[in-house]
Amino acid sequence: MSKTSSQDPMELIDRYLQAVGFWLPKGQQQDIIAELSEDLHSQIEEKETELGRSLNDTEIEAVLKQRGRPVLVANRYLPQRSLIGPVLFPIYVFVLKIVAAFYLVPWILVWIGMMSLSSSYRAEHTSAGWLGAIGSAWSAWWFTAFFALGTVTIVFAGLEYLQAKSRFLEDWNPRQLPPARNPNQIPRTGSVIEVVVNLIFGVWWIDVMSSPVILNRPEIRIVLSPVWRYLFWSFLFLALINTVTAGVNLARPYWTVVRASIRLATNGAASALFCWMLNAGAIAQITGAGLSAARALEVTNAVNAGLAKTLPVAVATGVVIALLDARRIFRVKSAVPLQLKGKISAAVV
Amino acid sequence: MTNGTQGAPEILENLKLELRRGCLIVAVLAQLRTEQYGYTLRKALADDGLAIDEGTLYPLLRRLETQGLLVSQWREEDKRNKRFYRLSPAGEQILGQLLEEWQNINSSLNKILQEAPL
Repeated sequence: MSKTSSQDPMELIDRYLQAVGFWLPKGQQQDIIAELSEDLHSQIEEKETELGRSLNDTEIEAVLKQRGRPVLVANRYLPQRSLIGPVLFPIYVFVLKIVAAFYLVPWILVWIGMMSLSSSYRAEHTSAGWLGAIGSAWSAWWFTAFFALGTVTIVFAGLEYLQAKSRFLEDWNPRQLPPARNPNQIPRTGSVIEVVVNLIFGVWWIDVMSSPVILNRPEIRIVLSPVWRYLFWSFLFLALINTVTAGVNLARPYWTVVRASIRLATNGAASALFCWMLNAGAIAQITGAGLSAARALEVTNAVNAGLAKTLPVAVATGVVIALLDARRIFRVKSAVPLQLKGKISAAVV
Repeated sequence: MTNGTQGAPEILENLKLELRRGCLIVAVLAQLRTEQYGYTLRKALADDGLAIDEGTLYPLLRRLETQGLLVSQWREEDKRNKRFYRLSPAGEQILGQLLEEWQNINSSLNKILQEAPL
């Protein structure tokens, strides 16, 4: 037996109508409730005529349940409203993704980096134990996320209000849309810059870095360790390959699987060499006027240790670059826009 | 449930609902060429094969009245106050235009189906 079985059936209807009325605007409340009440009574009356008796409270309950939850019934009488409407919603989601990718995720990465690399930061934040440090970082991150996403939402709710008033988003010009872009096209400006930068780097590299003594002044002298010879020739070789591939990209400005794979290989090799350089104790000696031998050794070790400490950042950067390069290969392998197929096949042989 | 996970029966139900939505407005306007109150209107539509639940009908009647296509009047009948609706002159004009549009859509659809039968 239901909880309401001992109640007056008509009281159940009054309670239902009151609950619907709660969600209705005051101006229309009485009118809508009167009509809804009349409709309910007509339905009940018809059923009673069919059965030849009064409906019991369970049957009334079934009628009301079939009508639906009061808030939903009331909602059908209200105009459709939204905090952010369908026109602005995709832009809103796009901005939220940008905020997450460029603010909230980096926030976590910076925290992890600081905790891994900075002993003073770690000591300061783990005084209450690791769990306490994670807990306080988590709550700080949530506060940041809530504030950032809340601010974006408020701004978009304001824009929605303006859009509803002035319809400013309906005024647009197709000519102002960005040019159609093929993601596999290589911008020629980028290739020119790449050629120039690699040539300048190569000249500078040969001029300044070919000798183990990279700085030789009366006040300071920096000597690199023997491992530098390998690094010197490897970086020079990579700069040469990059210059050649950038030149090819300039002539044939569409990525192919071969060129995208070469880019992955050269970037991967450059990242590996850079990490090796940071970790190999590349500086053999730093000496300076008025610097004792013991102090000079301390400075040299400190610089090498400082370089080694940046290794996690270099590794992370290398991984990100490799992933982007791998994604490019996958993109080139996958479908090519139909309208550009002709152009590509003409450009790449 | 997202569109990607909808089953065929659910897709059909949603499409049928969309198809019915516009037709219901025409049917309600056509029924109200003679004055009726909500409950009898709902019964009449159901008897003619166009069942409509009260949660859809009453808000629709209010909207059509706000748009000036219907007029209503509270009146006592069988010892109960009932709200009677009927088509306004503006509603009659709009109904004529909607029926014309309906005929156009119907003949276009027939033409398409004749050109490429199912």
